[in-house]
Amino acid sequence: MTQFRVCPTTGLKVDPQADALIKANAVVATVTLLIGGIAAIGVLLTRWQAVHLLPADWFYRLLTVHGMNMLIFFILFFEMAVLYFASAVLLNSRVAAPKVGWAAFALMVLGTAIIEWTMFTGQADVLFTSYVPLRATPWYYLGVILFAVGALVVTILFFATLVVAKREKTYQGSLPLVTFGAATAAIIAVITLGHGAAIYIPTFFWSLGMMNVDAEVYRLVWWGLGHSSQQINVAAMVSVWYLLGALTIGSVVINEKISRTAFVLYVLFISMASAHHLLVDPGFGPAWKVWNTSYAMYLAVLASMIHGFTVPAGIELGQRLRGYTKGMFDWLRRAPWGDPGFSALIFSIIIFGFVGGITGVTFGTEQINIIAHNTLRVPGHFHATVVGGTALAFMGVTYYVIPLIFRKKIAFYALAKIQPYLFAVGMLIFSTAMTFAGTFGVPRRHWDITFSQAPFDLQFSPTVDLVMGIMGIGGLIAATGGGIYIVVTVWSMFFGKPLEEARV
Amino acid sequence: MAMHGLPNGVTNPPSPLPPGAGDATESHKAPGTMVLVFVFLAAFVVYYFVNWKLLSGVWQVG
Repeated sequence: MTQFRVCPTTGLKVDPQADALIKANAVVATVTLLIGGIAAIGVLLTRWQAVHLLPADWFYRLLTVHGMNMLIFFILFFEMAVLYFASAVLLNSRVAAPKVGWAAFALMVLGTAIIEWTMFTGQADVLFTSYVPLRATPWYYLGVILFAVGALVVTILFFATLVVAKREKTYQGSLPLVTFGAATAAIIAVITLGHGAAIYIPTFFWSLGMMNVDAEVYRLVWWGLGHSSQQINVAAMVSVWYLLGALTIGSVVINEKISRTAFVLYVLFISMASAHHLLVDPGFGPAWKVWNTSYAMYLAVLASMIHGFTVPAGIELGQRLRGYTKGMFDWLRRAPWGDPGFSALIFSIIIFGFVGGITGVTFGTEQINIIAHNTLRVPGHFHATVVGGTALAFMGVTYYVIPLIFRKKIAFYALAKIQPYLFAVGMLIFSTAMTFAGTFGVPRRHWDITFSQAPFDLQFSPTVDLVMGIMGIGGLIAATGGGIYIVVTVWSMFFGKPLEEARV
Repeated sequence: MAMHGLPNGVTNPPSPLPPGAGDATESHKAPGTMVLVFVFLAAFVVYYFVNWKLLSGVWQVG
């Protein structure tokens, strides 16, 4: 018989196994964030041409480390924690099979360790996309497969826990919206990991010299993994938006059906939208590109626009119903801006929508993609979505996970309060400057944009030096915010003051 | 500096909605959010137009 603890704040019954699995995944997520963050500083100070810190081999190595740790390990370990929270905790249920959860966690950690080892020892300088025919050691692909299998098992465990909760009648009525959103993230995860298996298993055998992999087929299938994985982030991030809105300010859900329909749009259309990564690829025809990016993609974008309206509208309505009715923005002005969960929520919505969303939809237009593809505009866009949007939302919810799950007070609370501001402002400057630099044609993923030893001469506008300097400063401000987050969370988790709790 | 602390939502959870307020949420208005929606729309239109303008400069027809 599972002995639950009762959360004194929310009144939810919490399975200690869910607690432990959330903690384990959150701790590893933070460790990988630290590794990816250190790599980010190395990459940043090399791209900042006036500093140009690293030699070429270490630049590409740390760029690979940065991409894998930030886009895969940090985000996915955190999402695994979100899946346990949204199923077992929010539904007052036990975890369906905790031992399976621990086995999956071990697989993910093992895969992560193997990949980190291959990257740092220079056996996998293939960047995040690992495009064939760039070849890494077979250990790298094996590590990816182990990690993906672990993540898939957690996803299946999430669905199993939903079934257990339903059978044991631990909740009334429909699934809560946050759990519903997490379920769509989990469905997209299954689609994503299917693409991952379809491409990484053959590539593993290719790296052993046992078969061929067509470079174009690789790109096509890989983006079914590469982009869809970021859409897991979006679905999880939106779920966190709804959760943070409810926790910080008591926001209301304007219309459950519309919000749930928007989540379903993600499931139906986002995989096809992955085609926008191949808009300038000469191997695919215009009809295929136009269908996938001008129709399917806009339906997925529509989902984000619906959430981008319903979340702030729910906050506004929640505030107005509590008496903040003066003028147009009294509800926003009198919101709890000193609560790091709330400030992270608002900045996440703004940066994701205004910077990430607008640039993303624009670059998704086939003709415009020709002038944006492979320039710094692209990382400018996805740093706004994944970092300014998803990572910042995850940071915000961490300030609630620490007291509610770890049962600890937040250490260095004054620093925690300014952390979302620093991170958001830094990331806003960084992403905008990257986008501007890309407009001048500055390439992404490039060690030396002076082309000092190249057989041809290419000069960028002098403005580029200024913009790259601004990008460097913005990146350092964001890194400071990220560093504060790591210090605050690690200190709180391991040395924080414990809170009282009850058991039933 | 406050060494330890808790977010507002934990120490001072949002007050419950007034009785009956939640029943009619679908009929309530969110004018502030609508203003933000139009700011977003304007930003989108400007950015989209600027990109087509940039494209026209490098890919001239005729």
